[in-house]
Amino acid sequence: MASKKKRMLAVTAGALLASTVLAACGSGDDDKKSEGAGETGGTLYFNVEKPIDHWDPQRTYVGTDISKQSRLVYRELVTFGTSEDAVESAKPLPDLATDTGTASDGGKVWQFTLRDGVKWEDGSDITCEDLKYGLSRNFATDVIVGGPAFYILSYLDIPADADGTPQYKGPYTKKGQDLFDKAVTCDGKTITYNFNKPWPDFNLAIAALHFASPYRAEKDQGDKSNYSVFSSGPYKLEGTWEKESGGTFVRNPEYDKATDDTDSRNALPDKIVFKMGTKLETTYDAILANKGDAACTVSDNRLPPSKFSEIPNVQDRYQNPDSPYADYLWFNTKKLPLEVRQALAMATNREGWIAAGGGERAYTPAYSVVNPAVAGYKEVPTYKDIPLAGDPDAAKKILDEAGIKTPYKIEIRYPQSETADKQAAALKDTWDKAGFTVTLSPEGDVYYSNIQKPDHNYDVGWAGWGADWPSPMTVLPPLFDSRANIQGGSLGQDYGKYEGKAFNDKITEAQNATDLDTQITLLQEADQILADDMVYMPLEIAKFNWVTGKNVDFHTTPGSNSFPDLGLIGLRNGGC
Amino acid sequence: MFAFLVRRVFAGVIMLIVMSLVVFGLFFASPVDVAAFACGKNCSPAIKEQTRKALGYDDPTLVQWKDFMVGIAKGREYPNDPELREAAPQLVASCDAPCFGYSQVNSRTVNEEISKAFPITVSLAVVALIIWLTVGIALGCIAALTKGSFLDRGLVGISLVFYAFPTFFIGLLLLKFVSIKWGLWDIPEYTSIADGGVGAWLYNLILPSVTLAVVFMAAYVRMTRAFVLEAMSEDYIRTAHSKGLSRGRVLRKHTLRAALTPLVTMAGLDFAGLLGGAIITEYVFNFNGLGKLAVDANQNYDLPTIIGLVVLAASFVILMNIIVDVLYAVIDPRVRLG
Amino acid sequence: MTLPATDLDTHVGPPVGESEPEAGTAIVGRSPMQLAMRRFRKDKLSMFAFSVVVLYFLAAVLAPFLVKFGVLDPYTFHNTGAGSLLDEFTLPKGSWGGISGDHWLGVEPGTGRDVLARVWYGVTFSLVMAIAATIISVGLGTVFGIIAGVSGGFVDSAIGRLIDLVLSFPSTLMLLALSSLFIDILVHDIHVPEGDVANGTYVVLVLGFFGWPYVARLVRGQVLSIREREFVEAAKLMGASRFRLYFKEILPNLWAPLLVSATITMPTYISAEAALNYLGVGIKPPTPTLGNVLSGSIDYSTSDFVFFFMPAFLIMIIVVSFNLLGDGLRDALDPKGHR
Repeated sequence: MASKKKRMLAVTAGALLASTVLAACGSGDDDKKSEGAGETGGTLYFNVEKPIDHWDPQRTYVGTDISKQSRLVYRELVTFGTSEDAVESAKPLPDLATDTGTASDGGKVWQFTLRDGVKWEDGSDITCEDLKYGLSRNFATDVIVGGPAFYILSYLDIPADADGTPQYKGPYTKKGQDLFDKAVTCDGKTITYNFNKPWPDFNLAIAALHFASPYRAEKDQGDKSNYSVFSSGPYKLEGTWEKESGGTFVRNPEYDKATDDTDSRNALPDKIVFKMGTKLETTYDAILANKGDAACTVSDNRLPPSKFSEIPNVQDRYQNPDSPYADYLWFNTKKLPLEVRQALAMATNREGWIAAGGGERAYTPAYSVVNPAVAGYKEVPTYKDIPLAGDPDAAKKILDEAGIKTPYKIEIRYPQSETADKQAAALKDTWDKAGFTVTLSPEGDVYYSNIQKPDHNYDVGWAGWGADWPSPMTVLPPLFDSRANIQGGSLGQDYGKYEGKAFNDKITEAQNATDLDTQITLLQEADQILADDMVYMPLEIAKFNWVTGKNVDFHTTPGSNSFPDLGLIGLRNGGC
Repeated sequence: MFAFLVRRVFAGVIMLIVMSLVVFGLFFASPVDVAAFACGKNCSPAIKEQTRKALGYDDPTLVQWKDFMVGIAKGREYPNDPELREAAPQLVASCDAPCFGYSQVNSRTVNEEISKAFPITVSLAVVALIIWLTVGIALGCIAALTKGSFLDRGLVGISLVFYAFPTFFIGLLLLKFVSIKWGLWDIPEYTSIADGGVGAWLYNLILPSVTLAVVFMAAYVRMTRAFVLEAMSEDYIRTAHSKGLSRGRVLRKHTLRAALTPLVTMAGLDFAGLLGGAIITEYVFNFNGLGKLAVDANQNYDLPTIIGLVVLAASFVILMNIIVDVLYAVIDPRVRLG
Repeated sequence: MTLPATDLDTHVGPPVGESEPEAGTAIVGRSPMQLAMRRFRKDKLSMFAFSVVVLYFLAAVLAPFLVKFGVLDPYTFHNTGAGSLLDEFTLPKGSWGGISGDHWLGVEPGTGRDVLARVWYGVTFSLVMAIAATIISVGLGTVFGIIAGVSGGFVDSAIGRLIDLVLSFPSTLMLLALSSLFIDILVHDIHVPEGDVANGTYVVLVLGFFGWPYVARLVRGQVLSIREREFVEAAKLMGASRFRLYFKEILPNLWAPLLVSATITMPTYISAEAALNYLGVGIKPPTPTLGNVLSGSIDYSTSDFVFFFMPAFLIMIIVVSFNLLGDGLRDALDPKGHR
């Protein structure tokens, strides 16, 4: 499940912002930092198991890839820092812009002014036209595919065609270019964005996603540029990027640290070598065995449970931060009666699930879909009352009392992996005992698009979610508010087809709340409504396990989703 | 001979055409909506249709097949939409004949992918072929000459045991124990001759090639043994022996030669099969050859790449069949073509 | 095409009926079948291989009953609470992968499920799949081979081209690439239950499909030599129907090569199941097969070697045994053979 989750969380951002970057990392106590701070210089090896899909900023939509781009090669108008504090790290910092932007007309107009002296890797200035061109690429939906373009497509003040798509068709065909030129204007170094509705957190959106990244028009070859990197950051790509094997980043002499106020680009190593494709087990075997370059290697993939037994040997280079995510099971509320959902929840063996996934180093049990690091987190008593190992007898009783015939057939869906297979089998074990007949249906990469289909007939499925920023407002509504999710041939993130009027009303109330405390209380009540309706069953909070080569000064921050933060990582002991 | 060749090549081409048609029919009947996959999440129906059009998946399958065949014969240009190509020539990716298609997933032509992956697969196949042929034939001869002895049974038995373990198990043993745990061999990472010289190239190929060779070795040991034994019972070998020729000389000059023909045939066909990609071995050792390309393409629903690879692999097999037939006639004068 | 690799491998020599009893044995008057049995019994290695194969079959047949009556328990977790058999790293407690009186081959890391039960039950599923795929290959191959051999002419060459076509497909790649399509068809159009049944059926059907051409070539060759023989001619003259000719007169003369062919095909399908599972196609856990237990053990190759080695070892033993058995059968049925 691990590798899938990363993608999923970034990609299913949905109604609000992308759930990409923010949210809390655990308190620092379990991060036992190893000796020796990183020094400047050396070559860092960065192993990634699955190929990176895009380097094109407008097409990138995976949270950790966005964070890599920000730290290494792409500067944005605003970006996120490296603070360990969740709330602090969720604030955009000025990067290419002189400040974090000015909103006017109730958030319908945004203005940013470019800094002086910011340059591309060829020494030319980054201009307002570059920003404008970058944004325009989102509209070429037949060429620039896979990215988070839909936000800007729906917000930018451009009239729509009969099919609902904007009349501007991107910089290649230039159809409707005048409309775009009116919506985004340049005045010297100042860029102005005009939206058709208020976008109060636009600056947060462009720090989290790169759809508004500047792009130099001459460098644009459409799809052919997918793996081109034209850098504005401290590194540049040496040679070309090979999707299967990776590429090498070296220092970009045109990058001027003096123009960069952020704390997120320490750029310590002289060289960063991306190695793609090596299986994460092999990477970790090498790191653990301290073979060759492995002493200077960081993996972009977490230590798998099968290697946990090695942790005591490498305690000094091991970190175990909480992730900003929570995993849960959704129930099909349109298909399963309430009592069946309650019985399933009662017999859910969270302990077995956690043990099958690697035990307490990999997870802590969850008592809500809201991550504990989120402001106003509260354990839901309903979930607290269910024994961690599940209670099949109590579950059976619920079924019997409701007069539901057993054995009751249940099919559980989840994205396939060796670990997930075991975890799902742990659920089956106790569910079967409670009177269900459980079938496991693992799926491949099509999992998320399948469970978003409005006509799906699935019973139960796995899902994970991380807050966009540390407020339950970015958890409950995007997952369960039917009004925001179920539309246009998709269930959004409301995979269980839940349509609860009481819940929706509570959300409306929370949205209109005048102070934060009231809002939080209302959302806690909303979470209890979900538990009473048994819409979801929280499973666990994933904990990440990182082991790096012995010469790596490792850092992971909320700004990098608890993944390796390439802005801070350096080599010590003279590197390799 | 010439007429034979023409006829065989013609038949081969017809077969490839039929095959590509079958492959197109199969893959485009797939329930996976490739456009939705390329378009990503939160993709509105209108944008999805645009994506479909840009990928060229809106045409009927037959039209797409025709475009593919034209690409093979004459080359093609991408993106598919002529209007877009004219408005923005900087987008155009040209793909010369024989063009196998354009992979949207990898943002380059399938030809480029193949040209990057092919040298790796060929290197692997060649080194493996050499290993299994030399070792296989040598062991087979030894077994035949010591027929019935402990050595004979041991050699045949061991080669069988290695063959019987799953390929990926052998590969993983070599990788995880020989390479990583015991540190006897650096973790193989393909290095081209241009980058690292013949030494580094060969060094990195040894472990995967051995893995691959082990699969084929058993069959060659057994075959060689059988053919040598059969040949030794032939009259002309007995004659050679009775002439007083030494055993080694008879073996080299007569016996092996007779056994060579079927071995060459078999080796040719096995080799051709490998050229399409040694999927498991490449996957285990993370060698980015055609096999790994195929696995990745399959995971990403990269249809153009899959189709290109299937057609390419099939053409290797068909071509090698023709070559083997010709070789057969050259080696064994009794075989007449026609 | 001329001489395919596998024909050599599965070459079984002339059909049994053709080999006239040798002078010495004619006096005793044994049938060719009895002769073959006698030769086979004398071959110790083959008899040993035969007993291993029988043992596997017995185990495979027994397993479902043992599971039903709780003697074997491949599904129950022992990973939580006081009864947990796993240490803090979710590896089996104790040495050698947690081998104990209750768990003879140890327990599975992460879950604490019994490894013996999983591999034993896994043998059942792996063998069932291999047998089913073999039946399809041999069945299709026999039908096509007989038709090609008896008909000759256009039909023969058409089938020949079809065989060439199927053989030129890269079968592993096709197996991977077609899985989503065909499993979808199986589930939605043929209403095969989703999950294990559909996944297993897919593997069986496709393995079987890509295997028949080898059998067909072999059978065709055999038929070519049989069809000139007197009894076939006689049947033809008596106006036997085409169907009768194919399946009543010719088929019974093919059992020996078909038996050898099936024996040699089986183990390749057992290996193939494992390989495909490694690549992600096939029956998925918790239902065990040798292949999926092995793929699940790969990550533990260094931390729990017993668990890693056991399924591979069982695959190796059965594959070797089938091959030795095939050799023995071939030698016994074909007295003019190579040895």
